[in-house]
Amino acid sequence: MPRSLPDIVRAHAQSDPERIAVTLGSRNCSYGQLWQEVLSFADWLKQSGFKAGDRAAIILANCPEAVVACYGTWMAGGIAVPLNAQARPRELAPWLRHCDPAALIHEAGNADIESLLDTMDAPSLRVVVGDKTDQTSAPDWNEVIAARTRPIAVVSPLEADDSPAMILFTSGTTGNPKGVTLSHRNLASNAASIVQYLELSASDSVVSTLPFYYAYGNSVLNTHLAAGGRIALELNMVFPHAVVETIARERVSGFSGVPSTFALLLSRVDVGRHDLSSLRYITQAGGPMSVATTRRLLAALPHARLFVMYGQTEATARLTWLPPGMLSRKIGSVGRAIPGVEIEIRSEGREPVGTDRIGEVWARGDNVMLGYWRDEAQTSQVLIDGWLKTGDMGRIDADGFLFLEGRRTDMIKVGAHRIYPKDVEEAIAELPGVAEVAVVGIDDELLGQIIKAFIVRSDVSSVDAMSVQAHCRARLASYKIPKHVAFVEALPKTASGKLQRRALVEAAVKREES
Amino acid sequence: MDELQQVRNFILKNFLFSEDEGSLSNEGSLIASGAIDSTGVLELIMFIEETFQIKVDEEEMIPDNLDSVEKIIAYVHRKSVSKG
Repeated sequence: MPRSLPDIVRAHAQSDPERIAVTLGSRNCSYGQLWQEVLSFADWLKQSGFKAGDRAAIILANCPEAVVACYGTWMAGGIAVPLNAQARPRELAPWLRHCDPAALIHEAGNADIESLLDTMDAPSLRVVVGDKTDQTSAPDWNEVIAARTRPIAVVSPLEADDSPAMILFTSGTTGNPKGVTLSHRNLASNAASIVQYLELSASDSVVSTLPFYYAYGNSVLNTHLAAGGRIALELNMVFPHAVVETIARERVSGFSGVPSTFALLLSRVDVGRHDLSSLRYITQAGGPMSVATTRRLLAALPHARLFVMYGQTEATARLTWLPPGMLSRKIGSVGRAIPGVEIEIRSEGREPVGTDRIGEVWARGDNVMLGYWRDEAQTSQVLIDGWLKTGDMGRIDADGFLFLEGRRTDMIKVGAHRIYPKDVEEAIAELPGVAEVAVVGIDDELLGQIIKAFIVRSDVSSVDAMSVQAHCRARLASYKIPKHVAFVEALPKTASGKLQRRALVEAAVKREES
Repeated sequence: MDELQQVRNFILKNFLFSEDEGSLSNEGSLIASGAIDSTGVLELIMFIEETFQIKVDEEEMIPDNLDSVEKIIAYVHRKSVSKG
């Protein structure tokens, strides 16, 4: 059995406590400090009645406290539930109800959380991170960390077993929240595979803008901590110039992003003007990057090795990787299975198909989730005979390289975010004057896709594009607000009344071209 | 219309989808409030360049220049003076 992630981090803290684990701006958090805070937080949780198997919901932007909250929850025997810090009450409520946390850790002054807690049973334990500006009686993070008054008993090592360690929600507002439940074995095995193929060591450091509440961002964090390396946090790509300056100033060896990260970087920054010679590797996942952007990235940073990767939350994070040396020969491919993972392409009848034949991607390995939290019906649809049915379509060529050919679902990818159309449609449908609505993703040079809403109005006078966007802004995370809104007489449907999303995407493209 | 009102109108219409002047403070962070994101800032830069006839240089695309209405106005003034 592999060692668990917290056990590996504990070993780093003991062998080299001064080594820096996490950097945020001018803040540096060493392994020694990180581990002390992990134990203090775990101790506080246990003293406060938190039990093994309890959930701790963590609603924080990337910061050292988010790392401590996650690893501390594990050391208290609990399940960490990092939730989207950009989500609005409408989105957070079903997640919180579904995972029923015993503890909640969130930023101070988050009015959305305060209003949400007024409408539902609040978790019995709450900790507020940052300067408290409100009247909440919840303890402050620093008080909690400082509260430890007794020496911590020797903590037995956590095994990387099949006990649940983390829940990552991939969708669901009013419908069925899908909480991908990952075990300690899932997390440890996937991190070990990634550390192996990226050849990560304690001398590595990475700049990441990817949030911990997404599988990719979580994986970048855990792999670098597992290697004893350092993660330098940048909160977003709003100012690409600032991110590049951090790479240059911190002399990091790695940079991780999704296609839009690199598209924004290359479109707004003259990379050649910065000394980025420290970069040894760049990792790209989160959907296909255009061949043009890939080539521009390689030309801009010729000394760095570009690792194209593919995976999904249900597989902890990673399923395949393309060795950088194969990139020019296999451009467009997402590579081969990572160590410890098997990939097959299967027909609708679940039979393996031949070389270069398109079918659905199935995967097997220690990284495949335990299931969706408290949802056997949805779990049984994707976990079949020990395999994960990914929902992604693809083919494997004669050399064993996987090429993705789209998805079976209608999920929209905006930058690093994955959006289920239904989540946005349900919100828009609540607006008076809207009779019917459908949203689709249309191609966008920078973000991969942007959201377009097609609306049939029952009352033409009361609904316009701005009112739809304002309505969404009040209810949804900002990246879910449709960039474009079109009003139509009717939505295209099949004879049986099923919405034809493809026809809407084609209509959107035609409108752009005309 | 003065520069302040032009900037406010642009942000209200394009990022807050509102005509309510009270929904936008001049000093509040546009990023922390979720008003602008990585593509929003690109739209903001295009607006500043077109409206005020200035070139936003790469190293000027930083929070100190663009993260609030006040900061945008101060930046536009500095650029206009240096343009001379």
